[in-house]
Amino acid sequence: MLNAKPTIKSTLKALLYLLPMLVISITFSIYPIIKSFIMSFYTKYDFFNDIVSAYGFDNFKFLFSDPDFHIAIKNTLIFVVGVVPLTVILSLVIALLLNRIKWLSGFFRTVYFLPFVTSTVAIAQVWHWIYNSDYGLLNYFLSLFGVSAVSWLESPKYAMLALIIMSVWKNLGFNIILFLVGLNNINERYYQAAEIDGANAWHQFTNVTIPLLSPITFLVSVNGVIGSFKVFDQIFALFNGTPGPSKSALTIVYYLYQKFYTEWKYGIAAASGVVLFFMILLVTVFQLWYSKHHVHY
Amino acid sequence: MKKKSWQRALLTVASLGLALTLAACGNKSASDSKANSNEPVKISFWNGMNGPYQKALKKIINDFNSSQSKYKVVSTAQGDYTALQQKIMAAAKSNSLPVISQTTYTTVPDYSKNNLIEPLDNYMLKGDNKLSSADLKDIYPSFLSSSKYQGKYYSIPFSKSVRVLYYNQDILDKYNLKKPATWEDIAKDGEVLKSHGIYGMGFDKSWDMEFEGLARQAGNPLVGVDGKQVNLDSADTLKAANFIMDMVKDGTAKTAGEDFYWTQAFTQGKSAFYAGSSAGVTQMVAQAPKSLHWGTMPLPSYNGKKATEIAGNDIVMFKSASAEQKKGAWAFMKYLMSTKETAKWAKATGYVPLRKSATKTADFKDYLKKNTYNQAAVDSLPNGFQSNAFLGFSEYRTKLLEAVDAMLTKNEPVKKALTNLQTETEKIIKDNQQ
Repeated sequence: MLNAKPTIKSTLKALLYLLPMLVISITFSIYPIIKSFIMSFYTKYDFFNDIVSAYGFDNFKFLFSDPDFHIAIKNTLIFVVGVVPLTVILSLVIALLLNRIKWLSGFFRTVYFLPFVTSTVAIAQVWHWIYNSDYGLLNYFLSLFGVSAVSWLESPKYAMLALIIMSVWKNLGFNIILFLVGLNNINERYYQAAEIDGANAWHQFTNVTIPLLSPITFLVSVNGVIGSFKVFDQIFALFNGTPGPSKSALTIVYYLYQKFYTEWKYGIAAASGVVLFFMILLVTVFQLWYSKHHVHY
Repeated sequence: MKKKSWQRALLTVASLGLALTLAACGNKSASDSKANSNEPVKISFWNGMNGPYQKALKKIINDFNSSQSKYKVVSTAQGDYTALQQKIMAAAKSNSLPVISQTTYTTVPDYSKNNLIEPLDNYMLKGDNKLSSADLKDIYPSFLSSSKYQGKYYSIPFSKSVRVLYYNQDILDKYNLKKPATWEDIAKDGEVLKSHGIYGMGFDKSWDMEFEGLARQAGNPLVGVDGKQVNLDSADTLKAANFIMDMVKDGTAKTAGEDFYWTQAFTQGKSAFYAGSSAGVTQMVAQAPKSLHWGTMPLPSYNGKKATEIAGNDIVMFKSASAEQKKGAWAFMKYLMSTKETAKWAKATGYVPLRKSATKTADFKDYLKKNTYNQAAVDSLPNGFQSNAFLGFSEYRTKLLEAVDAMLTKNEPVKKALTNLQTETEKIIKDNQQ
């Protein structure tokens, strides 16, 4: 069966099997993507009646000269760089620890996974309290070490840090589960062989675990990068529907949201989405290229 | 056998597709078709009311529906105001707008430019169900003027609140202070209280509403009617903004910041005064400890004048509805504005009544006697104003909030922030006129 030559009939058959998923992804992903690409060139547009009276590059020109968009790009990059490596490292460490203990490991797995399935708004509400400068838990702990109260959510200096901490915490659960799966897939024999060769725990980790875990690490980081580039809901919920003090948490998607929903500038919103698309594409292509050399399947 | 199952699969997929299409069509024809002549005309009504407000609204709608048999109002809660706004936008795009919806009057210019909403003049001022001139005189002028855009009425006032001053009687007594008659008194009291670690004044996260009030009292609205005149960097406006920011910088006033509303801090005795929404009274009653003595009063005067900003939502009628639905919708709107219903609504929710006569009914007077905290809002109404709406208002408001935020969190000088805002606002108005 597997080696059968493709015929028109078998291709049609394959298409039939793919159809349900294809219909869904074309309607909800491919079509909107194409539509927003086209929309980014609308410079004069009657949104409600769908009449376009002029096309052009003005939306992109506007973006490149808009200081707010520059802030948005900068903040998005800071967020990605802040969140992804930290999430990968932390979840790997926690997964390794969970893999060692047998006692209560199911319990801990659930605990770490909970933030992932909890609604972002609920999480943000809780963190909102934790970060409160007057009666927040975080400032209380810091005060035990003599650190004076930090205005986490109201100071442009700390708002992004607050957002990154919350996002890392929220992302941990899912990545830990992925790493655990990866760890379980590593054949015990490699470790036995390594032990016979006299490798200590550290050498086993760097020479067996890390290389054999690389497909998962790759998956987790690609996922993390894409997800972090698209950050929006955490910001909206954590900063009460504002992009943080003095726009310190204004990201590209937040910018897009503002342009679309509060300023009704559909073309510019679409154009910022296109810019985001290419930024993610660029980084993902780079990751793929890197993975060719460093990921071992 | 194999072939058969393949064909069957194809058949399933095809019939599923057909069923979906039919279902979609069926849906459309159901909503489009006129109901039997005996059945009441359905008036769909979207709103952003939650909790006790939703309950109060349901009650009034039920009363309306049972008061006559021609129309039936069906209300749908669409989440909060932001979500409601987004749903209207999506519905306008997909031609599935309701007959009427709650919205802020500031969206009226944009909605009318896009030809989405129906002017109400034909129902409100003409025809057999119009408002009498006595009715028009009875409704507070600030509500009527904000319902009007370019000479036509487009909305009716609905859920409205004003800014009032909350005061902490315990603090006033302890430091021998009087209730303020002017904003200068508040600043002076702030100086006294500062040495005791208490703020004079507390604001919500943004002080834009108090700011607009002060600017009007100083001499000009922030933006003139229809956006014809932008006064954001005028001497009067700067004076108003500086008055507030001087208190904040001096440490005699504070904004709520991350808490969003100053309510929590007020109940903890962090300030003697708090300029907040009259709709917040309900929350304050729920949150304030029983031992705290507090009260509300109209905002004090500034520059010898009184002014308080009215916030809240209106109801608009969409063009897409049928003539019969529009007639019914107007009947419902008129019902909502009637003396009896607006008094009932105000009593149940804490929003202000829309008519002067409603405040004079024995029933409402009795209510105010029992709920003294709500008196200040009613007393403030004659001095109420609303910002002028213009094309691009929501974008302007975002920029205004950003400017206030920059002054508070980035220490941007008042003059610089407002000069920027002036340029941005002029550009917004110009861009929208094209």
